[in-house]
Amino acid sequence: MVTLNRRQTMGLIGAAAATGLAAPAIAQNKRIVVGALRFTSHSASFIAAERAYFADAGLDVELRFFQAAQPMAVAIASGDVDYAVTAISGGLISLADKGAIKVIGGALSEEPGIDGQKILASDAAFQAGLTSPAGLAGKKFGISTAGSSFHYMGSKVAQAEGIEMSFTPLQKVGAIIGALKTGQIDAWSIVPHIAKPLAGSGDVHIIGNVSDYLPNYQVTTVFTSADNANNERQQTSDFLSAFSRGATDYNSTMIDNAGGQEGVDEMVDLIHKYVYTDRERDKAAPSIINGTMRINEGARLNVASVQDQLGWFQSEGLIDADISMDTFVDTSFVETFEA
Amino acid sequence: MSDSTAPTQPIEVRFRGGGFAPKARRWVGLAVFIFLIGITEVGTRQGWISSLTLPKPSDVLATFGELWESGLLFKHLLPSLSRLAVGAAIGASVGIAVGIMIGLFSYVRAGMVPLVAAIFPIPKIALLPLFVIWFGIDEASKYALIAFGTFTPTVVATYGAVDNVDRSLIRMGQSFGLSWLSIVRKIVLPGAMPGILSGLRISLAIAIILLVAAEMLGAEYGIGAYILEAGSLYDLERLFAGVVILSLLGVILSTIIGFIEHRLLGWRA
Amino acid sequence: MDIRLEAISHSYGDTEVLRDISLDIPNGKIVCFVGPSGCGKSTLLRLIGGLERASKGRILQLGTPPKGCLNPLTYVFQDFALLPWRSVQGNISLVLEDHGIKGTQADTIIADVLARTKLSDFSKALPRQLSGGMKQRVAIARALAVKPAVMLMDEPLSALDSQTRELLMDDLVALWTRQSFTAAYVTHNLAEAVRLGHRIVVLSRRPGEVREIVEIDIPLADRSHGNAKLEQTQKHLWDMMRDEARAADEELLDV
Repeated sequence: MVTLNRRQTMGLIGAAAATGLAAPAIAQNKRIVVGALRFTSHSASFIAAERAYFADAGLDVELRFFQAAQPMAVAIASGDVDYAVTAISGGLISLADKGAIKVIGGALSEEPGIDGQKILASDAAFQAGLTSPAGLAGKKFGISTAGSSFHYMGSKVAQAEGIEMSFTPLQKVGAIIGALKTGQIDAWSIVPHIAKPLAGSGDVHIIGNVSDYLPNYQVTTVFTSADNANNERQQTSDFLSAFSRGATDYNSTMIDNAGGQEGVDEMVDLIHKYVYTDRERDKAAPSIINGTMRINEGARLNVASVQDQLGWFQSEGLIDADISMDTFVDTSFVETFEA
Repeated sequence: MSDSTAPTQPIEVRFRGGGFAPKARRWVGLAVFIFLIGITEVGTRQGWISSLTLPKPSDVLATFGELWESGLLFKHLLPSLSRLAVGAAIGASVGIAVGIMIGLFSYVRAGMVPLVAAIFPIPKIALLPLFVIWFGIDEASKYALIAFGTFTPTVVATYGAVDNVDRSLIRMGQSFGLSWLSIVRKIVLPGAMPGILSGLRISLAIAIILLVAAEMLGAEYGIGAYILEAGSLYDLERLFAGVVILSLLGVILSTIIGFIEHRLLGWRA
Repeated sequence: MDIRLEAISHSYGDTEVLRDISLDIPNGKIVCFVGPSGCGKSTLLRLIGGLERASKGRILQLGTPPKGCLNPLTYVFQDFALLPWRSVQGNISLVLEDHGIKGTQADTIIADVLARTKLSDFSKALPRQLSGGMKQRVAIARALAVKPAVMLMDEPLSALDSQTRELLMDDLVALWTRQSFTAAYVTHNLAEAVRLGHRIVVLSRRPGEVREIVEIDIPLADRSHGNAKLEQTQKHLWDMMRDEARAADEELLDV
């Protein structure tokens, strides 16, 4: 909190210096748009909105929902959305390279000991002996597009196992699920709240954990437009502090069980307002609980993982080899660590 | 001019017949291209067109050069060309056959025209998941999508062309006692050929459009897959390089049809 | 071979176009049909050739067609009806192919009819390269190639300018003089009728009935310009038709 206060103060000075008398008025109830997908991994934003943490920080937040991460990233670049959370992908890095966006904090992380993303095999492949990631050699691994986080995960698993796989681009998660169920692809990796119900149906099987290969994988990050990161520093740190309060509530309730079962129930009620809204609360609850993964406290950012991802995208020739961490990430807002 | 008015200076008749007659201005099209590309180059170099808006044309050219040198161009181009060739060949040949049947037989017309009208406006991309279930994730579903997309415009163009065959020529054939098959082969088909070929121009352009959609699912290589990948990576240079390849493909196909028209329809000019 | 029409009547729906027409087209003669617009002369020709079925009455072929005749009733159309994608030669071979005539046999026939219509130098030309008069000569050559028993000519000269028409009339006369043929010749041009017709059938306005049948016994070759008897016949025909034509004109305006 001390660091935050120091930053807030510095930011305030900077903002006041930059915009003169108008600054205090703007700081109050400033309208911003936060982009989100209807996934449990975006819960920190939902909690901060529901529990008025954004309002406390002087931000009037409008949540705007997207069907996929890609258009959300473009919306940030075009200035239609101010802040959002998404997985690191080649596209995100390219946008940063073009001076459109900056990563400003961490969100979802793999953490050893906590249920994270799963590696799945189709029933046909499983019956044919694909029971562990070691057997993935020569198999078809489903990805949305080249340079997506699925591509990164699959490639890292293959690298660790010392095998070669082929990657099948299918654009959408729905298409990947369909292809996996019908055995047209052999394997895939996905967040637990999608993996577990799929495995329950018997059409697919869980054959491993991503965290075994990428123990501290920084799955998603908080990002904003370069303009916000450079010129709206006060607003940006206000957003991050409110977002962090949401993340803290989420972790302590859902992972550390601070509020007991009652706390979990209350949290599920809150999240259910945004996620699985088409299902009854009782049916949605297991999926929401299944989807629990740690969201970084204080939006801390694992720069080692980010560096590894950046390096991988570059080694695959998916992005320009000259892009540096500084171009992609602005580390001045949150605490960073290497793990 | 009459005696009662004062003599006036003769006035030359003013020319007022110009315009409204398009003439071939061969270099203007090229000049427009060069101008737009030049503006973009200058703009991106000087920075008043941001790199987020448009790529530098010279970078696109460099990307194209890399594609060529690395051999990736043909790795992407060959699968796409075979998908285009197989898909469009199936779609166009079935389309021409059905179109001719519609043109010749009232029952086929009554049965097929509403059906074709019903499937024409369906965005074929929407049926992609269905095609994957029917034909699998590999080449067959890609052929099917392109074939389906080229089928309907070909049918419509073909039966329109058959309808437009000069009836007096058919009557002539009948009056000379030509057999039904001879009339179809020697009068209806050659007479419908101009319409069929111009329909084919549209169908093949649609086939190129659908190539990108067909390569959305499960294609590692292909121009469409290349463009989609570039799009998801926000790599505008590769995106534009891919788009330029598609445009060139369109121009080449159009030229080929122009050549076929020249050969088959030399009697028109 | 003669053609005999027995009490032909024809209607399109409620509109009666021809009423009770009986006449003969004798072998080796040209019978011209004249009449005001809409009197049904072209319909009559289509009935004779079997392209339409008469509502009432019969059309009979008397005698047998000449030896080697491929298509007894053969049309020559006003708009020529040449296939634009076939050469002059190809347009003629079109009507022979279906009768199994190919190779040298076809070449002989084509060379013969092209010579008779003075087109020998143009056998490879496409229709678009030919003038209107030449196109009609190709159409006539095509008709001659199937050795017709009767030629059914539907205003064959109407699409041509008057000079070309004069030249083609001379050609037709020469053609007939060399080797007489039978023809039913529909025209609205009385000069053509008196120049080419051995027999001229005058039809009334709709519904078309036979007003009069005029016989001209001057040989075709002797019907030069300024022939007083022909002028008189033409004037007689015009006097007969003028009122009909005017009435037909006003009737059309009336509809």
